[in-house]
Amino acid sequence: MELPNLKKHFIEKGGLSEQDYALIEPLIQTKKIFKNDFLLKQGAICSHFFFVEQGLLRMYALNEEGKENILQFATEGWIVSDRGSVFFQEPSTYYIDAVEDTLVVMFDEHFINEVSKINTDFREKNEQLLQNHIRHLYKRISQLLGVSAKSRYLDFVSMYPDIMLRVPQWMIASYLGITPESLSRVRKALAEENFKPHK
Amino acid sequence: MKKRNIERVVKPGTPHFVGDGFRVHNFIPGSSSMQRMDPFIMLDYNSKYNFPPTDKPKGVGVHPHRGFETVTIAYKGRVEHGDSAGGGGIIGEGDVQWMTAASGVLHKEFHETEWSKKGGEFQMVQLWVNLPAKDKMSPPKYQAIENAKMAKVQLPNNEGEIEVIAGEYKGNKGPASTFSPVNMFNVRLKKGAKTQLTFLEHYTTSILAIEGSVKINEAENVLQDHFALFANDGDTFTLEALEDTVVLVLSGEPLNEPIAAYGPFVMNTQEELVEAFKDFNTGKFGYLED
Repeated sequence: MELPNLKKHFIEKGGLSEQDYALIEPLIQTKKIFKNDFLLKQGAICSHFFFVEQGLLRMYALNEEGKENILQFATEGWIVSDRGSVFFQEPSTYYIDAVEDTLVVMFDEHFINEVSKINTDFREKNEQLLQNHIRHLYKRISQLLGVSAKSRYLDFVSMYPDIMLRVPQWMIASYLGITPESLSRVRKALAEENFKPHK
Repeated sequence: MKKRNIERVVKPGTPHFVGDGFRVHNFIPGSSSMQRMDPFIMLDYNSKYNFPPTDKPKGVGVHPHRGFETVTIAYKGRVEHGDSAGGGGIIGEGDVQWMTAASGVLHKEFHETEWSKKGGEFQMVQLWVNLPAKDKMSPPKYQAIENAKMAKVQLPNNEGEIEVIAGEYKGNKGPASTFSPVNMFNVRLKKGAKTQLTFLEHYTTSILAIEGSVKINEAENVLQDHFALFANDGDTFTLEALEDTVVLVLSGEPLNEPIAAYGPFVMNTQEELVEAFKDFNTGKFGYLED
């Protein structure tokens, strides 16, 4: 199976050569899941990182009232997982499900170790990705604590340019930590600011 | 005059829903690529389908378009349209809505409220016509073309008529204004009637059998709800009605420009696509309430 996004990921971000990639190809495990299917449920131990080849996943927690709080979306080329559950082998407090029919590549520790054997630089590159992820999480926490809904929205759409066309508004509002009505107000205000009808 | 042969006949594929109001078979780009069909870059066909009555009209919520025109041809049922450029209206049986998205609009399309309450048979074509690069960023516009305004040419011996939506048939011009040469006709033939159509050989030419089946060039049958693409090996083909028939005929001059398409945006370059997303996300297409 051709997996162009995975190949791009390993070559551009993982530092692998075409030859290295050919060596890891037989080790690749994929999974096709349908919209609304789960990859992880609260209480289970998460054993994989999920790389999105095609489609869209989201990770969320349920709050005390049973409302979904979305932590992350993963579109093509993104990885999503409950890292805590994977590393500490503890039950997850999160859910991961598919917003669209999705083709997932499953990474586990064994796979990462094998890739690292094929190319010894990979571990370092992979750590860079992890550090980048942590940086992103800090930024997200800081934004949720103290940045306007408008700034959060603008940052979000610059990171995921096509997401407004793929995900219902209420999910985007959930990710941004605002109500769907507030999201509408933000979008309306932006239109008032930026829409220049032709004369 | 040289015979134009059929390149392929395509049967309607498995339908899918667009929103909850349009149950469509995709013919372009599903069976024939945007490049081959230039300037027709999308064709969804809602073959006859019965929608039950409802108080909440079905349709497609607010979504953007940039870089082309959307044309909706209503054969059965009624639809209501609204857009962020102030365009809007209701079209019913026989009418056509021609929306030029150009530099960008948000729009929504729903079954008309009163029609929804009664429900019934619904049949429509939605077509996207590409815009030349120089017109992609021109102002949006909206043309509601009532059936009564279309040119209607009676065929000899009361055998049927040709309804001209856009382009020209024997000197009779259709009301739609277009940015490049496009012919769009409804050919209504009585059983056994025969007619021939001529378009410039290099024009991309196809038909969709809306009602009944037709025989093309006295050789090949195109059954109801099937689509046929013609080769560019001649200028003239004949249509013979095997029963009372309505056939949508499309023939347009290819733009021969690069196509960069993603979802509802069809531009010429990747950079223009990135810009389209950015402009949409930051409100440059305006605002439209859901």
